[in-house]
Amino acid sequence: MSSKSVRPSALPALARRALLVAALGVLAIPFVVPTVWMVSASVKPLPEIFKSPPSLWTDEPTLAAYTEVFTFQPFAQQYLNSVYIALLVTLITLLVSSLAGYAFARIRFPGVNALFVVVLIGLLVPSEVTIVPLFQMFKGAGMINTHWPLILVTALAAPCVLATFIMRQFFIALPAELEEAGRVEGLGRPGIWWRICLPLAKPALSAVAILTFLSSWNLYLEPTVYLTSPELFTLPQALTRFTDAYGGEMWNTQLAAATMTVLPVLIVFLIAQRQFVEGLAHSGLK
Amino acid sequence: MSRAGGARGTSRPSFWTTRRRDALAGYLFIAPQLAGVVLFVLIPVGLAIWYSLNDWNVFTGEQTFVGADNYAALAADPQLPSVLLATAVFSGGVVILNISLGLLIAVLLNRRFRGATLFRTLFFSPVVVSVVAWTLVWGFLLQDNGGINGLLAAIGITGPNWLQHGDTAMLSVIITQVIRSVGVNMVLFLSALQGVPSQLYEAARIDGAGSRVIFAKITLPLISPTVLLTAIITIVGALQSFAQIAVLTGGGPELSTTVLVYYVFQQAFEFNDIGYGSTLALMLLSFVMLLTLLQWQLRRKWVFHEQ
Amino acid sequence: MNTARKLFGAVALTTALALTSACGASSTGTEANATGVQLRMTVWTSNEDQLKLFDTIAAAYRAQHPEVSSITFESLPFADYNTTLTTQIAGGNAPDLAWMGDLSRDLIASDALVGLTDKLKATDGWNYDDLLDSATKEFSRDDTLYAYPFSNSPFALYVNTDLLAAAGQKIDPETLTWDQVAAAGAAVHAKTGKAGFVIRDFDYKSWNTLATVWTGFGAAAWSPDGKTCTFAGPEMQQAFTFLHNAAFKTQAMPGPGTKADFFAGDAAFTVAQVSRASLLDGKFTFALHPLPAGPIGRYAVLGQAGVGVLAAGKHKEQAADFLAYLTNPVNAEKLAQFFPPPRKSLLTGAKLAANNEVLSAAQLQEVVVDQLPKAVTLPNHTSPAEIAQKATTALDAMWKADADIPAVLNSVCAAIDPILTK
Repeated sequence: MSSKSVRPSALPALARRALLVAALGVLAIPFVVPTVWMVSASVKPLPEIFKSPPSLWTDEPTLAAYTEVFTFQPFAQQYLNSVYIALLVTLITLLVSSLAGYAFARIRFPGVNALFVVVLIGLLVPSEVTIVPLFQMFKGAGMINTHWPLILVTALAAPCVLATFIMRQFFIALPAELEEAGRVEGLGRPGIWWRICLPLAKPALSAVAILTFLSSWNLYLEPTVYLTSPELFTLPQALTRFTDAYGGEMWNTQLAAATMTVLPVLIVFLIAQRQFVEGLAHSGLK
Repeated sequence: MSRAGGARGTSRPSFWTTRRRDALAGYLFIAPQLAGVVLFVLIPVGLAIWYSLNDWNVFTGEQTFVGADNYAALAADPQLPSVLLATAVFSGGVVILNISLGLLIAVLLNRRFRGATLFRTLFFSPVVVSVVAWTLVWGFLLQDNGGINGLLAAIGITGPNWLQHGDTAMLSVIITQVIRSVGVNMVLFLSALQGVPSQLYEAARIDGAGSRVIFAKITLPLISPTVLLTAIITIVGALQSFAQIAVLTGGGPELSTTVLVYYVFQQAFEFNDIGYGSTLALMLLSFVMLLTLLQWQLRRKWVFHEQ
Repeated sequence: MNTARKLFGAVALTTALALTSACGASSTGTEANATGVQLRMTVWTSNEDQLKLFDTIAAAYRAQHPEVSSITFESLPFADYNTTLTTQIAGGNAPDLAWMGDLSRDLIASDALVGLTDKLKATDGWNYDDLLDSATKEFSRDDTLYAYPFSNSPFALYVNTDLLAAAGQKIDPETLTWDQVAAAGAAVHAKTGKAGFVIRDFDYKSWNTLATVWTGFGAAAWSPDGKTCTFAGPEMQQAFTFLHNAAFKTQAMPGPGTKADFFAGDAAFTVAQVSRASLLDGKFTFALHPLPAGPIGRYAVLGQAGVGVLAAGKHKEQAADFLAYLTNPVNAEKLAQFFPPPRKSLLTGAKLAANNEVLSAAQLQEVVVDQLPKAVTLPNHTSPAEIAQKATTALDAMWKADADIPAVLNSVCAAIDPILTK
């Protein structure tokens, strides 16, 4: 910023800054309020949820809904399912995508470009096209009502292709001298990948980890199709099941379950938000 | 750390030249990913084509070859035009709003001021919120007697019955989807903006360019590769928004928010018409492919530099 | 190459280990041991007392039949029970027995169920003739019963008498009509801001629950043979005019997108099945009456659930045998505490009241026993999901203040006729 341009607009600049913060503050409301409302409604007695005018406060907070969550469904088991599936998928994806991304970026071999295009197709085929055939394939393999389809498809198909793309974009920008140095030290391709490139790829890897974890964590169509037993359900699927043929409305129970689904991830994010955001920013997705 | 192929001895020229070793490593490295795509994408697409030529009875497992019947049914389906329209409006709305809002926030945050990091965190936070939880909460807030209309009433506005009218229901699903996901694009744009060399801005200012001109002539062209990439990812994501629709509107009212992915699910898994569901899905696939090809071709026109 | 081999070995091993642990967590042991027959029955209740009763009956059965090593009751969520059950059948994972509601027609039509009549008639002491004809009709084809109608729960009118009193309203249950309900409901809404009458579970989507109203107007969704749509008839127009007025003119019924739960005290009236009485927790005083009279006079509507044996199950014979045991006169009486039974011998107010904590013998006599013989069931047809979706979509145009009621009803027929005639 040149000193010439600052001077005449010094006072307006302050006002503009205040205006900017105010505008951003208003804009942020719909990003923040739903989550706050969710937490507050989950501790309200049922009739208060739709009280008018709406309020985030209640005089008689109750945790009854939180215990109801666990008696109505095997919620702890469902929670565990979501966590282990997401972690496993993330782990596999990190491995598979960093290998493939490295090869596509740094190794010249016959057909590399054609194969890259083939892989990219995996990113473009919407899940609704493959879901029916995949269901039949997994049925043939006896994997209906198991977690296999959720793990395998997420870890190796579309979300992983995005990861491979991110990794490739990152590796392609690495200076060639690094690899030369590795070769001089007698490293083969696996050694170069593992010892030299991966340690440098932390930002891209963390971006991949975040995106993959979230896409597995959010899967809804797939569990809805593949899983039929409540004890195998994942969280998004479980959240929509708080309706009972013989029971009352379960609004606050549903909101309590939603809160428990959201808060831990949100807290992890808030603690590690710098790594989160910067990992994504330096992912090479630009 | 023994050299590869060392077992064959080094006296004569090894079969394992660097080039061959590289090629082997390359194939092995991409093998898991390639296998995943072939097994879980390409083969299913092939099967979908086969299914679209058949009719199924799911209860008995009977399968009869019906040729192009399901494709003829596309033309005769009275609901399909509404579904396609809803799909176009939803995806178009999400992409346009997502990219422009993401850019706006990124530009606003791309300066140093106290609170910038806080705002970045706030705008990004819905990204980590589970889609279903997020949509459920919005479903409550958007009821006629829900929180949003309650807030509007407090300032003297009678809000519409959001989810019960076609237009406002569509608006609701688009906006809830954009708010939830715009954080990712915002971060990508922010990082792209920070990659624009500041000398360029300096030079333009010296030339007397206003901030709008600078944005249009310098910033936008320089970050256009990011915009293109995020546009493709956002549109493919929008076309797969199943949970948002299923939880918030169930495709209604009427067919106003029945997008193709939801319609395919209904046909294949609720009405048990696997043949027709596959046909619809393949139609969608051809749209996506066409659209991507188009964007890719257009990139030469509006993307500033290609590496 | 060693590095590569080591590396890939490690990779393969990690993956394999990871996948094994995944498998360990997800498989629930479907392997049957040589002699042990394992039966599985899908249900949509998750009520612990109900499941406990099923478990008790199953344990008693297994004591007599050592070849059956286990009987599990799998609770599937009600919201997408049909989709889940269909997926299980299509996925080659059909349960041995299943509860069924409106999926029964599809299952019967595609021969997915095992006929039960011969087995039940041949079972000692089962007393097949005890079954009420009006109860078995929906689950029969060509005089063969394909599912035992274990639950026959009539719809009734629940009244929040506190709210009525607060609004200064009085009703006479003997002569109560829908118009009076609407008037009282509108008055409650105007005075207290609470809702008037709520057709439970309708929520402007599940239109089949409106049969609890339109039957009183002499209307039906389709002809008795299920081939012709009758939505456009004058009776249906009259019924929908009544509902439309209630929703948009008098506000006797909460409009679309307004949530109101009778059992939380948000509404003066609700139409719901008698079985929902268990939701009353004493927060307000209530009354329970048969459905009010419509233009055609008094009428009754019934929601049914059956349990059948799936032809795709692995142990059809044992499953049918267990079904006969589960529904024999002794066990049917136990089940009657939760589900109004199809057996004439059990249908007396006193017997039903024996295990009912909320309702008295007189109430049960009035709203269950006296209603069942004349009750009409909710609309039932093959392809229920497709009909439901098409009609819901067409009916959405109804729920606007300026709707053209006859035109909307015609569009419903246009939408579902192709499926009815299929």
